[in-house]
Amino acid sequence: MTTTVIEPTSPEAAATPPAEPAAPKRKRKRPSFGMIFACGFLGLLTFLAIFADYLPFIRFPDTKVPGPDGRPGRYEWGPGWEAWFGTDGISNDVFAKCIYGARTTLQVGIFSTIFGIVVGGFLGVLAGYFRGWVDRVVSIIIDCLLALPALLLAIILVNRLDDYATDAAWLGWLSRKWQIVITLGILAVAPLARIVRAQTLSLREREFVLAARSLGAKSGRVMFREILPNLIPAILTVAFTGLSILIAAEGALAFLGLGVEVGTPTWGKLIDENRNKIDVAWWATIFPCLMLFLTVFSFNIIGDRLSRRFDIRQAGV
Amino acid sequence: MRYFLQRLSQFLIVFFLVTFGVMILMRLGLNAPGDPARTLLGGTADEQLIAETTEKYRLDSNYFVQYFFWLGNLLQGDMGYSVPNSLPVSTLIKSRIMTTLLLGLYATVLSVVIAVPVAVWQAYKRDGRFDRSASATSFFLVSFPAVVLAPILTLFLINEIVFTFGDYQLTIGGWFPRVGEKIYPWEDFWGHVENFFVPTLVLTLPLAAIYTRLLRGDMVQTLQADFITLASAKGVPPQRVLWVHALRNSLFSLVTGVGTQLGAIVGSAIVVETFFDLDGTGSMLVVAILSKDLFTVQSTAAILVITVVTVNLIVDLMYAVLDPRIRHARALA
Repeated sequence: MTTTVIEPTSPEAAATPPAEPAAPKRKRKRPSFGMIFACGFLGLLTFLAIFADYLPFIRFPDTKVPGPDGRPGRYEWGPGWEAWFGTDGISNDVFAKCIYGARTTLQVGIFSTIFGIVVGGFLGVLAGYFRGWVDRVVSIIIDCLLALPALLLAIILVNRLDDYATDAAWLGWLSRKWQIVITLGILAVAPLARIVRAQTLSLREREFVLAARSLGAKSGRVMFREILPNLIPAILTVAFTGLSILIAAEGALAFLGLGVEVGTPTWGKLIDENRNKIDVAWWATIFPCLMLFLTVFSFNIIGDRLSRRFDIRQAGV
Repeated sequence: MRYFLQRLSQFLIVFFLVTFGVMILMRLGLNAPGDPARTLLGGTADEQLIAETTEKYRLDSNYFVQYFFWLGNLLQGDMGYSVPNSLPVSTLIKSRIMTTLLLGLYATVLSVVIAVPVAVWQAYKRDGRFDRSASATSFFLVSFPAVVLAPILTLFLINEIVFTFGDYQLTIGGWFPRVGEKIYPWEDFWGHVENFFVPTLVLTLPLAAIYTRLLRGDMVQTLQADFITLASAKGVPPQRVLWVHALRNSLFSLVTGVGTQLGAIVGSAIVVETFFDLDGTGSMLVVAILSKDLFTVQSTAAILVITVVTVNLIVDLMYAVLDPRIRHARALA
């Protein structure tokens, strides 16, 4: 209907206008090595995680790998041809466990980010658009979420939700994985709401909002059809950086014994299980560490690239 | 002053809401009469004791009464009793808090000490070789969560790795003890350093990288400002321009970062203390949450919230110290 919707990817959407006038059309720059690496790694990981059941070179995470003497034992294979990342204390394939762990990690990360975007984005737009007491309430919620150290809040929430879900019948669907998703989603709300609020505050003064309002658009329409599309770059940028933080937090939770259900491997759990044997079998600890690091690193690269592309500063997210 | 009062009231609201929220969270699902006390005392407690404890801490009244009763006790220094540890909570926290405080302090101070010179030099020689390599390194280090860095540093610093080249053997690592005993610096300084070095390093490296990135960004912008050109033009020595004029005006993001990263430090400290078996507040807290040690969790959380919010309040006041414009704008407001 209206033509005021600016294309979501346009750099004008960012809060600060570009310092220099738009340069004459340059040739498209080739993506940097970092971006290729990050997208390649994440793509490969996602592919392996989705099709792990069907790929012949990935064992099941609970398959016992026979040792050199034909029977399963403790840490019998180092990294090599038989088991790419070696075997762990109960002679499972560490590579298989890492891939199945990626499945959990990526799911948890993505779903909790979506949760954070929906809730945080909604709160942020409301606060920035209506200002006044709505803004004050939302700001207090954000302050409260930021005042308690994130990991502490996560530990308390997961632990309590766990007890609560076993007690209350209507919460039967709330398995450990979804508890962690909700918990990490709540953690993601604060930074997202903050950046969305700040951006909305500046966007609501722009001409196209004024135009929409003078054409008689209701608040809801202005917020979600006019302002929201312009927030997408900011949300995406924070979401990617946030993903890396959430994935690290998931690792930390699993390491502290608050991971997903027993029997489902995750990276944090692998690190926790094998860390005391790090002097005899470094591979069982270091490879999950490496996977966690590379995933966090890749999301950071993408987030950094996006924030430069859209010129969004995010001090201390 | 008005600004300060405004911040202070915000501080109090956040404090009440968060501590109240923690209390509610810890009580979720314990609705039957006597439930909280039974949880506190463990499964084998007899009815008599449960009734007494319920009476003592008003555990049967509604949440608000409980909360203010607990808060009143907290203000008088009585934090309740931790049954799993059979110690008063205040004694428990007192015996543990030093480790966490020292860890956090070392990490913050060390990373600022590392970040400032690196970032200043990066901005000064912008896009030079040092700038690019330091940028890459800090970007790399930012992506190391404590869970990942702790095992890796353990492998390279604590364990011994033996390389064999024919007859020649090279051993690296094994420089630091595996189990972090609690040795305070005033007892045995070098023993303390040995025990705290690796845990501190795990906290420091990512933090220093974050600070470096923050400061470099600000510094690059400041160096393009007119007053820097003016200072150079009137003959201020370049190093003085760099370290006094430019640095002072670039500290905003760094100071903000010190405040916002505090929560992350506590989170990392929890992981690090668990990993290296240091008995600090972080590892204690995890155990307390898992064993539903209500009062320990509530009191420790309260202390943490106070710390985080106070530091952020100080950070806010630092802005005014750093920038006279803010000071005067606020004085007028």
